[in-house]
Amino acid sequence: MVQKQDFEQVGDFTWDLPRRFRSDMRVPVRLFANQALFDEAFGDRSIEQLINTATLPGIVKQAMAMPDFHQGYGFPIGGVAGMRTDEGVISPGGVGYDINCGVRLMATELDQEEIAPHIEDLMTALYRSCPSGLGGDGRRPVSDRELEQLLSDGSRWALNQGLATREDVAHTEEQGSLRGADPAQVSARAKERGRSQIGSLGSGNHFLELDVVDEVYDASVADRFGLRRGQAVVQIHCGSRGFGHQVCDDYVKRLQSAVGKYGIDLPSRQLVCAPVDSPEGQAYYGAMACAVNYAFVNRQVLAMGVREAFERVLAGKVRSFDLHQVYDVCHNIAKFEDHTVDGRSMRLCVHRKGATRAFGPGRSDLPDDYTDVGQPVLVPGSMGTASYVLVGTDRAMELTLGSTCHGAGRVMSRTQARKQVRGNQLRDELEESGIVVRAGSNRGLAEEAPLAYKAVSQVVEVVHRAGIARKVARLLPVGVIKG
Amino acid sequence: MREGFEEVEHTADVAICVWGGDLAELFANAAYGLACQLAELDDVSLEFEHQIALEEPDVETLLVSWLGELLYLSERDKAVFTTFDIHTLEPTCLEATVRGGPMCEGRRAIKAVTFSELEIVETERGYETTVVFDV
Repeated sequence: MVQKQDFEQVGDFTWDLPRRFRSDMRVPVRLFANQALFDEAFGDRSIEQLINTATLPGIVKQAMAMPDFHQGYGFPIGGVAGMRTDEGVISPGGVGYDINCGVRLMATELDQEEIAPHIEDLMTALYRSCPSGLGGDGRRPVSDRELEQLLSDGSRWALNQGLATREDVAHTEEQGSLRGADPAQVSARAKERGRSQIGSLGSGNHFLELDVVDEVYDASVADRFGLRRGQAVVQIHCGSRGFGHQVCDDYVKRLQSAVGKYGIDLPSRQLVCAPVDSPEGQAYYGAMACAVNYAFVNRQVLAMGVREAFERVLAGKVRSFDLHQVYDVCHNIAKFEDHTVDGRSMRLCVHRKGATRAFGPGRSDLPDDYTDVGQPVLVPGSMGTASYVLVGTDRAMELTLGSTCHGAGRVMSRTQARKQVRGNQLRDELEESGIVVRAGSNRGLAEEAPLAYKAVSQVVEVVHRAGIARKVARLLPVGVIKG
Repeated sequence: MREGFEEVEHTADVAICVWGGDLAELFANAAYGLACQLAELDDVSLEFEHQIALEEPDVETLLVSWLGELLYLSERDKAVFTTFDIHTLEPTCLEATVRGGPMCEGRRAIKAVTFSELEIVETERGYETTVVFDV
């Protein structure tokens, strides 16, 4: 059983567990945390899961945990692991069931004062135009043929359908289209589930928020991202819905036999995996990439719902109801990236599970207008609390395979949260503090109460001071939609 | 309230501890535990009926598949299944008839049934396991 004293503090915000701690570890474990987060880390199985991750074939550097990490299955949430493509593995548990759960940030032309008289109407219109909640059919059901196309092409399909602008696509991770998507690797059941859910938020911790830029920490970068103090913005947080869940489910089962076939010794069943270059590994990647593209299209279609709501409520009443896209990031994904490790350039399969890419300036993967600045990093807080915009850094490339945190991790179970918070009371408190709430379920609200999460400000402070992302702006909510 | 399962503490997701005198009872109780998470079960009818036949390499995978199948049918039919007649349950194959009705009031969406903490063990009262649902 791992204990605090087994770790060595190697930096102000960095703790290492050496390989010798357990004989099957191939690399050390590295936690990014402040003292308080480090002390809390031993309350669940997250560190054990990280140690298990460190045993996977082909893993390089360390099995890393971002400061918002907590217990998942297989990998912890907040886990980052890069595997060599020639001798490493790809693992569905290193991506998660909600493949490409992520965040999109859209900026309006308007300031808080201009939008204030219209917030109630806007939130009602957004609640209608962006479907959320249980049983969630989407605003744009698709045919079989359309589904095949959007799985392959992602946001490019949306652009061709008139559902996206060129800027939307350019300002999305992977330009909204992960290469290597192979619809033939996706089950009929996943496709069946996916057809009706495009343009839906879902429920749980997914949300759509109307926010105001409350504080700017880096004015020149904020300006490049099109952000300014007092500006109204919109965040969309959701993923690949039933489609992605089914893909993960299918492959967690399918890869069970691959583990034995390739002689991989696993400390945990949920770490099931296959060699990256095996037929099974390639099949999973091809299906996963389809789910990634599905989620990009899902958020794109919701973005059109946002635009529609803004136009419906604000046309003729304000100087501009337009929204432009700042960026869209993934939190659950596995990607092929080139990184320098121990002075050598390597092609890696980088797993980010509850972690965000945070590429620094100069990477060709970034949109042309952001290349010299670095990648926007979007970190949503828990409901009713601040969210943050950060920028990727060179230091992240060095330390974390260009990765950083994704949001606030949970510290309390849902049953505990429901005991401590009543949903209707929380709704009243949010409304009293000036946040308009549209939520499908009071129970859902209670489970997502801020007290159930780590303080995102603390998490963001750690990544900022560790240098693996730099603060650009803080957003505060004025309207929240939860399913 | 049906016996045979209870919700247990889990930080990030939802977990239930399930038990049963034999494997069929364990599987039925797990299915009911899932149903309780998905919806309020008062006044749910039994108008929908499905036959389920599954085969998996081991009993844990079979349990995950069984619950996953019910989750899929619930989503597809916008229903919740509360009655389970398990005709055959070898450790690696299952045949059952399930009945349920439209959801009157949904409780939560479950993304998937995980293998996390899943280990079916024999105890004094028969069989027991934890099941963690990804929410």
